[in-house]
Amino acid sequence: MEALLDRFRAANTQVLGVSIDSIYCHANWAKSLGGISFPLLSDFNPKGAVAGSYGLYLDDAGIDDRATVILDADGVVHHASSVTPSGQRDISELAALCEKVNEGHENTLKSFPGPPGLEDDTVLFVRSNCMFSTNAMAALGNLHIGTIPVRNVTDDEAALDELVAVSGKAQAPCLVVGNNARHEAADIITYLAGRVSEL
Amino acid sequence: MINLGEIAPGFTLQDQFAREISLDQFNGRRHVMLLFYPLDFTPT
Repeated sequence: MEALLDRFRAANTQVLGVSIDSIYCHANWAKSLGGISFPLLSDFNPKGAVAGSYGLYLDDAGIDDRATVILDADGVVHHASSVTPSGQRDISELAALCEKVNEGHENTLKSFPGPPGLEDDTVLFVRSNCMFSTNAMAALGNLHIGTIPVRNVTDDEAALDELVAVSGKAQAPCLVVGNNARHEAADIITYLAGRVSEL
Repeated sequence: MINLGEIAPGFTLQDQFAREISLDQFNGRRHVMLLFYPLDFTPT
């Protein structure tokens, strides 16, 4: 799916995954697949409520069906299909359907603001065996960010000294951008996504 | 399953980057493909 994202983007189509898993489960699973940058939504509380509103929550099994719904930019449903939980979607067939929905719409859509990109002086400090550092690293993988320096302070005293000098404390993870230090993993991840994600 | 021609129900949910994503934010800007699936760690 990630490999075909450009085709969906060219058809002005936003891809959104939806399941009942938590955002932490989503992040780790996505990382394990080599990184998923499009949003995986957590339909978690109340469980399956959004899937239910589309008639796609399987009450007996307590999970969402494996199903695809394509909407145009006005929210009108153009396609809805299920391959059952054990089935497999034909992604290129779905891409062709999205391209068809987009026909005639190319000039009527408002532009979507693009991300500003990362600042040049962005550095991520992490620590080994730290869940929050692991979460921050998963976000780098999912956003395909390979350009910013990552300093592990666990066995690197120079990195630790640098972290204390720029942020005032030895706490990692810490994302430093110029003079600004973020310590909360959720803040770090949301900031990075906001800088680079085209959704 | 939802019918063709209906207006899709709106929603706001968190994603793997802890962002709030609303269907509304794509209105008039992008078409949307929703991929519902049973569980993480199964084929998308």
